[in-house]
Amino acid sequence: MTVQKKGFLQGIYQKLASPKLTVVIFLVLAAASVVGTLMPQGLSEAEIQRHYGQRAIWFITTFGLNDLYHTGWFRFLLLILSANLVVCTIERLPKTLKLYRRREEQVDPEKLAKCSLNCQFTSNLPQDETEARLIRIISEEFGTLQRLDGDGHLAGIAEKGRWSPLMVYVVHLSVLLVLCGALVSSIFGFKGFMNILEGEAASEVMLEGSDRGLNLPFQVRCDKFDVSYYDNGMPREFRSDLTLIRDGKEVLKQELRVNDPLTYDGITFYQSSYGAILKDAEVELTDRKSGAVRRLIVLFREWVDIPGTRDRAQILRFDEDFRQLGPAMVLLISRDGKEPAGSWILIDRDFHGNKVGNYHVRVLQATRTPYTGLQVKQDPGVWLVWLGFAAMLVGIGLTYYVSHRKLWVWAEADTPGKGGTKIIIAGRTNRNELSFEQEFNRLCDRLQAELGQEGGGSKP
Amino acid sequence: MITSSILLAITTFAYLLCALLYLSGVIFRRRTIMLWGSVTGAATLAIQMAGIILRWWESYQIGYGHAPLSNLYESLVFAAWAIMLIYLIMEYRTKQRALGVFPSLFAFLAMAYASFSTGVNSKIQPLLPALKSNWLIAHVVTCFLGYAAFAVSFGISIFYIARQSRQEPSGGTHSLLPDLRQLDELNYQMVLFGFLWLSLGIITGSVWADLAWGTYWSWDPKETWSLITWLIYAALLHARAVKGWRGNRVAWLSIIGFCCVLFTYFGVNFLLGGLHSYATTK
Repeated sequence: MTVQKKGFLQGIYQKLASPKLTVVIFLVLAAASVVGTLMPQGLSEAEIQRHYGQRAIWFITTFGLNDLYHTGWFRFLLLILSANLVVCTIERLPKTLKLYRRREEQVDPEKLAKCSLNCQFTSNLPQDETEARLIRIISEEFGTLQRLDGDGHLAGIAEKGRWSPLMVYVVHLSVLLVLCGALVSSIFGFKGFMNILEGEAASEVMLEGSDRGLNLPFQVRCDKFDVSYYDNGMPREFRSDLTLIRDGKEVLKQELRVNDPLTYDGITFYQSSYGAILKDAEVELTDRKSGAVRRLIVLFREWVDIPGTRDRAQILRFDEDFRQLGPAMVLLISRDGKEPAGSWILIDRDFHGNKVGNYHVRVLQATRTPYTGLQVKQDPGVWLVWLGFAAMLVGIGLTYYVSHRKLWVWAEADTPGKGGTKIIIAGRTNRNELSFEQEFNRLCDRLQAELGQEGGGSKP
Repeated sequence: MITSSILLAITTFAYLLCALLYLSGVIFRRRTIMLWGSVTGAATLAIQMAGIILRWWESYQIGYGHAPLSNLYESLVFAAWAIMLIYLIMEYRTKQRALGVFPSLFAFLAMAYASFSTGVNSKIQPLLPALKSNWLIAHVVTCFLGYAAFAVSFGISIFYIARQSRQEPSGGTHSLLPDLRQLDELNYQMVLFGFLWLSLGIITGSVWADLAWGTYWSWDPKETWSLITWLIYAALLHARAVKGWRGNRVAWLSIIGFCCVLFTYFGVNFLLGGLHSYATTK
């Protein structure tokens, strides 16, 4: 049993270590995301039924296609991606580090001659002079030549960007950081919005994606709200003057603009929208039976008695442009304390349909109060996300710009006594072979020009 | 009086000329004609840049005052500019002029679509409050440099596949082109370069969204499609680095990736809507 279990776990580990899985997950995530953009997100079951029919409901809700990015299976894909990243790092990083630390002790001239990028030639200068020039030119063109113990020969290695193969791990770490940050935020943070009437204070935030509210440990008061417009009617800017009140004391006064959030006590406020409610309206009610006309002021969501009757009225809703007919409100009237009846009443025109129950309604004057719409969030994981982003850019940038380039040099007396020096140079890079090839050829050309004549070898 | 619209109209036709020169150079196997293509391309790039800067200045004269990167028209103009900029730098470094056919064609198509389509409004429009931020410049410039690199890589991939499928004797059209290994290497460099800028573009967009809306990622269709594009190119880079894919398969993945780029740019605007809907013109 244990053996089998171990085999099973090992099997999973092997699967997770496979680079094939990485590519497959990328493609599966991409495909799932495509589905999520083609299918509108956040639809209710009723809307799904209307758009896609009865049969599709089961399918869509079972797989959560209407809220795809928050479903268990999508998160499971992200989890597998993270596991794949971690396991691949565990598997590969030690090898890369070993290569990174390893220093070659010797240079084998036979191996150099087999390198795909190599050049060989003979110099007729005295050996001291040859070696001195070789070292100088290589350090000028490429980088410092580390001399190795050559037992009477010149042997050396020069390299650049030794650490560049490690950058891939920085990118992998950065993806994990971003995912961790998102996880921390979703567990310990919240996101929501609040609408505050001008002149009023509030502390309750309506949480996103739920009908729950959350009480902030302080109050937010909107002292003033302002919108300015371009001459074509588009909003140019909107802003709120906010005061934060804690334990009855004003702790912060600041104006809030779009693109310029305000943070207090770990909670950030964003200017996100605006609107207006109808604070009160002066109406003329005509009783269609008796013809009696009564004037009164009705309030927003507060019952007012209609004088001379036992009826009561209130404004339930307000729309600045109801079905393109201009501003309108829902007026509720309750007769004799019975179940109230309501209807949309156009505010700017005396419309024959302006009636509730047996009253015809005419609006004489309406007083609006603007409100400011604030996005509110607490996001303790966001710095992990920023850190991840920074690491990702550094990692990808250095992967692009730096490759590990290595040069081996070998020089020995050609035939003892004759004075010629045989030189072999070989090079290798882990990336960007073409530009290294050019660099290598340029170096070899200069060496041959300054050291002596060509003597075979393969120059691609 | 020279206005930005005149300069950009000249640009449109000059890119057509440039594309025709590159194309005739390849068809008639004349390097001189291709050289003229490069010269036309570089000159047009300069005229276009002057046009963009002038449009920027004009927007201040009208009183709106914003960088010309705010709607579909302006982004198309910038896309054309970025494609030619990246291509000409690559050409200067590799001395491979035949590859200019696709980039100059794309630049012309982008300019022609921007200028002649009735669906694209070329008037300077004021900015919505949410777009008023310096992040706009950072976000649009980085994204479009990425898109442009992918467009150039798409052109290289087409050449790769064309060259590989027909084994012509030396001296044919193909002698104007780099060999397969060079094309593959160039393609890889271009994809990696584009990937860097696309990542930067997604990240600047994300940081900006956090400032403006209080959320760095909201699975808006544009965001999601940019992620899909990023995933496709990430798959390409991994397949090449770890699984040793070369040549044909990489070229095909790059073509698929560029289709995603096109969908992220146009498809999302016209078919899906969302937070970036101001990028379509009304």
